[in-house]
Amino acid sequence: MSELTIPRGKHVGARVNRVEDPALLAGEAKFVCDLTLPRMLHAAFVRSPYAHARITSIDTSDALAMPGIEAVLTGSDITAYPLSDLVALEGLQKTPQPVVATDRVRFVGEAVAVVVARDPYVAEDAAARVEVDYEELPAMTSVEAAMGDDAPLLFDDLGSNVVFQTTRTFGDPDVAFASADRTYRRRMRGNRFVAAPMETRGVLADFERASGKLTVWSSNQMPDLLRVTLSAVLQFPAQKLRAVAPHVGGGFGQKMTTHPEEVVVAYLALQLGRPVRWIEDRRENLLAAAHAKEQVIELEAAVKDDGTILAFRSRCVGDAGGYSFNQASALIEPWYSATLMPGVYKVQNYEFEVLAVLTNKTPIGPYRGVGWTPGHTIREMLLDEIASDLGLDPAEFRQRNMVTAGEFPYKACVGQVYDSGSFIESVDKALEMIGYEEFRAEQESARARGCHLGIGISPYVEPTGFGSEAAQQQAEFPFPSHDNATVTVDPTGKVTVALSVTTQGQGHKTTFAQIAADTLGVELEDIAVVQGDTDTSPFGMGTYASRAAVIAGGSVALAAGEVRQKILDAAGVLLEIAADDLTIESSRVSVKGSPGRGMSLGDVAMAAYWAPTTRQEGKDPFLSATRFYDPKATYGNGCIVAVVEVDVETGHAQVKRLAVVEDCGTVLNPMIVEGQVRGAIAQGIGGALYESIVYSETGQPLTTTYLDYLLPTSTEVPSIEVGHLESPSPLTVGGIKGMGESGLIAAQGAVVSAVIDALDPFDPEIEELPLSPDRVLRSIGRISG
Amino acid sequence: MGKAAITLTVNGAEADGLVEPRRTLADFLREDLALTGTKLGCEQGVCGACTVLLDGQAVRSCLLFAVQAQGASVTTVEGLAASEDFDALQKAFSDNHGLQCGYCTPGVLMTTRALLDTLSSPSENEIREALSGNICRCTGYHGIVEAVKELTAAQA
Repeated sequence: MSELTIPRGKHVGARVNRVEDPALLAGEAKFVCDLTLPRMLHAAFVRSPYAHARITSIDTSDALAMPGIEAVLTGSDITAYPLSDLVALEGLQKTPQPVVATDRVRFVGEAVAVVVARDPYVAEDAAARVEVDYEELPAMTSVEAAMGDDAPLLFDDLGSNVVFQTTRTFGDPDVAFASADRTYRRRMRGNRFVAAPMETRGVLADFERASGKLTVWSSNQMPDLLRVTLSAVLQFPAQKLRAVAPHVGGGFGQKMTTHPEEVVVAYLALQLGRPVRWIEDRRENLLAAAHAKEQVIELEAAVKDDGTILAFRSRCVGDAGGYSFNQASALIEPWYSATLMPGVYKVQNYEFEVLAVLTNKTPIGPYRGVGWTPGHTIREMLLDEIASDLGLDPAEFRQRNMVTAGEFPYKACVGQVYDSGSFIESVDKALEMIGYEEFRAEQESARARGCHLGIGISPYVEPTGFGSEAAQQQAEFPFPSHDNATVTVDPTGKVTVALSVTTQGQGHKTTFAQIAADTLGVELEDIAVVQGDTDTSPFGMGTYASRAAVIAGGSVALAAGEVRQKILDAAGVLLEIAADDLTIESSRVSVKGSPGRGMSLGDVAMAAYWAPTTRQEGKDPFLSATRFYDPKATYGNGCIVAVVEVDVETGHAQVKRLAVVEDCGTVLNPMIVEGQVRGAIAQGIGGALYESIVYSETGQPLTTTYLDYLLPTSTEVPSIEVGHLESPSPLTVGGIKGMGESGLIAAQGAVVSAVIDALDPFDPEIEELPLSPDRVLRSIGRISG
Repeated sequence: MGKAAITLTVNGAEADGLVEPRRTLADFLREDLALTGTKLGCEQGVCGACTVLLDGQAVRSCLLFAVQAQGASVTTVEGLAASEDFDALQKAFSDNHGLQCGYCTPGVLMTTRALLDTLSSPSENEIREALSGNICRCTGYHGIVEAVKELTAAQA
């Protein structure tokens, strides 16, 4: 059997209930906020109320004098290297971020001091008593302001607020635009919206002085990277540093990067010799945890009268906030928008310009779908406009320009190689699910009675399984990106799978056990999956970029395959038969075709561990294997179709129906895939209609509670119908592709397109998102300003 | 700050505490009684993660002070998990994939319990209205709504 093939027994592909559920439902699962240690102290941060200011003095004496206060530290008290990004793209300026500001603050919410107390209420009391004097500086809250000739600089030594600017050309866009029958242009200010995981960030650190061991529990997606980063910035020996991500209540990318608070809490534990815990509150999460998505994008298309798209030209300007945020950098938005702009469409002439600009807002970090979301949204808006202008059906126009089934592998002009897919088929299927023909009739009759329905069609391709090749194809630099899994059968025949990827609710303990179960021939309940602890898991990059299913799935299959062979070898000796003639089913090793002749896996394992006679010359008998996997790039695809109703009196838009077809290659567990799709789509609905971080002109954030920052609830998200197509990847182990982000890549576009379609009789002008009631009314001239 | 002595019933057992008047019921449950199943998501009464039953009513434990629960009977997810009809709740939510990260889940379960106790044969719209005070960032609500539909159908 090729290493690319995985056995599909009764587990892989089955709708298996999650092994995670019982502990979560019973309230037993422990998140960072549920962990306590003896003598534990509580940290609270003092944060800047100004968007841009110099710190002139800090007086901590009142705070220190309060009963119950153990320490108050300012930036100059903390010995830690600043955080910086790891992106090696030529021309990207570095903006080192002190973990607590020392002389300058660049966004509201930046930490300027930290208080440690025996009680969290008292820590917050004391934080309010720290007196900080600031000299306010002019704040820039838009990329336009920050790029102005006289704009004050966030980093004086950089000479500009633009930390990255480049242009790339593929094919010959100038010729294409010159020869086009028609050209179109659109501009969009994509909204700043945020992951808003239900569990805010949180850190607990414990330093055992005698042993020198530092343990950091953090609500984090990449514990190995956290460990390496902490070791580097604190100059602390990594072998004595353990990072643990216990149950994590949603991450969606926000918990990838090492946030300053993680460094500070670890530092406090080292200095104070007592455990220190910090649990972020929601206001802090909306203020100081990484924001996402905001860009100003211009997109032009060159088109022939017959509806062939000849070329695109884009300019993606990312609003990075106060720092080019560590690990992912300010490029996380505009670069990814620009590089995936052609999407599912066969456009080989393309030019993009990317700019990343510092402003006095919270730094931008990764959030599910990264920069792909706004780029996708504006492209689909523009395609609707073109279809309408050409008098073509929007679905047919799109399909006419898509990569067809016979064209895979297809190399997109920027360099992505789409390994396989069902671009056109997924649109057909999604339209069938929604009842497209019937909808158009319904739309017309509804319009006649003053009810405005619209439909949005949003086909997507999603880069997944982020390994080194995908990094090269997406990011143009070789970000080494791989993971490992260790599969061990113990002397009783039970299995432990140790993963380097971590879970924030994706059900890894179920899906990866499904793979191990089919490969080893055991039941799910015979397997324990461990992850999220650098002491017990092999090294790996963790969970981001829709990579866990591909990479962990692959490494588990490879490791389990190796262990299976070791079991068969041992059993072959015991049964005096060639290993190739044996198989394992339901934890029983038996002769193929003669199930009566065999023995239990437990007995084989017992012998493999303790009977030296089972050992074979030159073979490692330990029933354990660790396998490294750095997959080839693979691309998922699908299509989202949304139907909305817009009330043109109130401006209220409501998603009425939503159908999605997803194609992630081999489906490991359809229930979990559907859950990921629906959850991501709900976030896209939020980004289309409700969610927006808003700043005042002076850089004051106006959306610091869930009363101002609106998340979709059960009354805003409709029941979502999910259809599946399966185009297994020819390149990855098991044909697995990722799929976690697609819903948020494409749903915003689907919903926005649907609103525009509903408003078609009013010729709406939309340049800004989300489509809140006021913006809808303004777009059709019902209100002004 | 002075402290007040309180006595209440939590999950059927008497619980005593000496608390500052400003201490929230959520913190009293989580920190003082170590009943960490109840979660905090916003501490402003919006997200619903901290929902518990207070004398049978679903309430936000982040918006109540512990002293306000003096003499009351509080049920948390730990109490719910020990109740005899928990198996049905657990099965419905697991079968319908009504949870992912599970952080909002205790609050969703408490709201569901209150809904099952007050409404018979609710429509899907009524179920969605009842759940609209519990924000979930993972599931898109589909599995939650399906789980509650199944539970209300079984009850009807």
